[in-house]
Amino acid sequence: MIRTQDHQPQQNAEYSYDYEAKDHPCDGSLSGYPSRRFLPFGAGRRAKLPGFEAASGGSHTGREAGLNLDRLICDEVAENDCSSERHIGLLPPRHRDRNGAAAEDRAATWVGPSFAEVAAKVGGLIRQGFPLPVVLTTLCQHFDATVHGCYSSVLLLDRTGTRVRNAAGPGLPASYVKQLEGRRVRWAETRVGAAINAKTPVIVLHPDDDTLREEVPPAAAPGLKLRETSPILSLTGEPLGIFAVYQRESKTDHPRFHSAHIAQFTNLASAAIERMRSDEALKRSDEALKRSAALLEKTQQLSSTCCFSWRAETDEISWSKELGQLFELDAVDVPVTLELIGTRVHPEDRPSFHEMIERARSGVSDFEFEHRLLLPDNSVKYLHVVAHRTRDQEGELEYIGAVQDVTHRRHAEEALAKLRAELARAARVASLGVLTAAIAHEVNQPLAGIVTNAGMCRRMLGVDPPDIERARESASRTIRDAERASEVIKRLRALFCNKGVTCESLDLNEATREVAALSLSELERNKVIVRMELAGELPPVQGDRVQLQQVILNLLLNASDAMSGIDDHPRQLVIRTERDEEDHVQLSVRDTGVGFEPRGADRLFDAFYTTKSSGMGIGLSVSRSIVESHKGRLWATPNDGPGATFSFSIPSGPMTAAVTGARSFGAIRTSTATAAEERHVRSL
Amino acid sequence: MMVKRPLVSVVDDSESVRESLPDLLGELGYSVRAFSSAEEFLASDCVGETRCLILDIVMPGMTGPDLQLELMVRGQEIPIIFVTAQSDESVRTRLLELGAVDCLFKPFSDTALCEALNAAFRVS
Repeated sequence: MIRTQDHQPQQNAEYSYDYEAKDHPCDGSLSGYPSRRFLPFGAGRRAKLPGFEAASGGSHTGREAGLNLDRLICDEVAENDCSSERHIGLLPPRHRDRNGAAAEDRAATWVGPSFAEVAAKVGGLIRQGFPLPVVLTTLCQHFDATVHGCYSSVLLLDRTGTRVRNAAGPGLPASYVKQLEGRRVRWAETRVGAAINAKTPVIVLHPDDDTLREEVPPAAAPGLKLRETSPILSLTGEPLGIFAVYQRESKTDHPRFHSAHIAQFTNLASAAIERMRSDEALKRSDEALKRSAALLEKTQQLSSTCCFSWRAETDEISWSKELGQLFELDAVDVPVTLELIGTRVHPEDRPSFHEMIERARSGVSDFEFEHRLLLPDNSVKYLHVVAHRTRDQEGELEYIGAVQDVTHRRHAEEALAKLRAELARAARVASLGVLTAAIAHEVNQPLAGIVTNAGMCRRMLGVDPPDIERARESASRTIRDAERASEVIKRLRALFCNKGVTCESLDLNEATREVAALSLSELERNKVIVRMELAGELPPVQGDRVQLQQVILNLLLNASDAMSGIDDHPRQLVIRTERDEEDHVQLSVRDTGVGFEPRGADRLFDAFYTTKSSGMGIGLSVSRSIVESHKGRLWATPNDGPGATFSFSIPSGPMTAAVTGARSFGAIRTSTATAAEERHVRSL
Repeated sequence: MMVKRPLVSVVDDSESVRESLPDLLGELGYSVRAFSSAEEFLASDCVGETRCLILDIVMPGMTGPDLQLELMVRGQEIPIIFVTAQSDESVRTRLLELGAVDCLFKPFSDTALCEALNAAFRVS
């Protein structure tokens, strides 16, 4: 009794083998090859094979067993006739079987076309694009025709290598082949599993004594006995399937006589399968490429994005079909050039377009810019171009870029800006509604004086004799009241006329005084005590007077509203202007009202967020957008005592970039946020 | 003996009114005092002497109706003609219900004022 060599147990081995030779007549001759006793075995189970008995010992993977043993066994089977024993032998896989095959060729009986002819025929089918099952069926037919009394089948393994797929066996009963389809390969228990596992042919020398079960009960194939299963291996040694040969029970030929044929047909099957699979892989990668291209195209469509490459040194441009369509140059059958593209660029944007080209040509960096197209039908498109600087294979400067049609977005932004402007006007109207009474009050006061004075004047002229002196006094007072009324109207015009955005140098103190004068009566009516703390010398700010006054008015009315329910302490409002650091001018409105929850601070400036029962919730949001368009900021802080302080700060001094609105659309962009603000300012 | 002209007090924060009304009232035969706020009027020595009060509604501090209430509390029944720059009929109605002689919307004519004064002195 020979113990197998000690092998280190393999932790991850899916299949372990654990055998010990026992009472085998060949023991003596095999004693030098202890590893021959390794046979595949299902995980966690022990095999009881004819002539071999399992015992505790080392473990091995089937692969090791196959690799180590096949040649030895082959030689041994060929040289020592052990056929009288119950035996399952292992034969070498096709690419290692030269010795064995040569020995068997002597007994081979070849009929019909030569193997070369069969191979050519099968190859022809593959080239003609016949599906694999057809090719393999043909292969089997040729084998069956070649080796008399034998019937072959090819069982392909699926991708996981655990199930039979595409079983072909033209000479076998269809029901039998059908049963094989999809069957799980049981590694240790069947000849198919054993052959695949060991990667070596399994020859059934004495079928009757074989304890390895077949995949399908033999009853499904009456009169046929499985004689050999030959693993079809890829060039890299991966099992692709099994070439199985059956023999009529009546035939007594030793199947080993046909091993050479079997090996050749197995080789052919292997070549056919690999060829088909590589064709499929090629086709798949081709399809994947097409799919990826289609996906890219679709993505480009969805995102309205097109791509291009531009070699700055040679001006070679290649662009996607969509980009050609975007420029409406797709019908032009000439190479794309910068000149050609230039003809489509909006005339107003051409200078900046060329400036961008020159900058890019100097290779400074990636670039991003926007410009418009003026198309032949006079329609205008807005493009956003982003390009990444790179070097091509020859080391030349190349830009890979994406062009996005942002026309819709641009229109949406413009509509949004328009809406905001309307909102600002609506807020103004709302404020106007609140102030209507105050305005009437302000205007009616001098009017009352005028009417009374005029009445007095008429009386003085009506007495006899006319009292000219008192009539003159009344007339003078009439004129003075009329001037007062006129002053009120002027202030109203300054505040509420719907003129466009203007940018002027203005004194924030003066603007504040005007607003305060107008809203004073409204504040007084609300029992608000107003205190003005205006800085003595305030540098002028650049901006839109009406808009800024709108903001101040909003802050005053909000403060007044916040104090409307306050009765336990004075309703005090402090309007303060000051110069803050960084040459900004700051205005703050401090009240002693209800204040706000610190948690709600973020929401204060949201549109339609309001704590007032009658408020629309747009005053502060519009105010903030106005202040931000002046490059300033608007914020709120809770007071130490009751109430809150709302402040804004805007830069003083010369014209700022934000309010000039002078930057052309085609200018190279540095920040989208700036551009958005700019448009907002222009549209307000 | 000269008949003492009844005193009409004008309380209005509008300078236009304070300048123009006294002259007209004087011409109509009243003696006149003008005050720019209700507080000023109450602090003066004219409260008891005033036979008619021409009173603005909206004023900083104490409003016209506040003064009306204050006078009621003090038991001073002075006929009041409200004058207001705000044309609000509901306010007018309420004030009349509270006992005001009239409520004139600015600007008002001298005729309307005369009628209101006549009514006021009929009451008194």
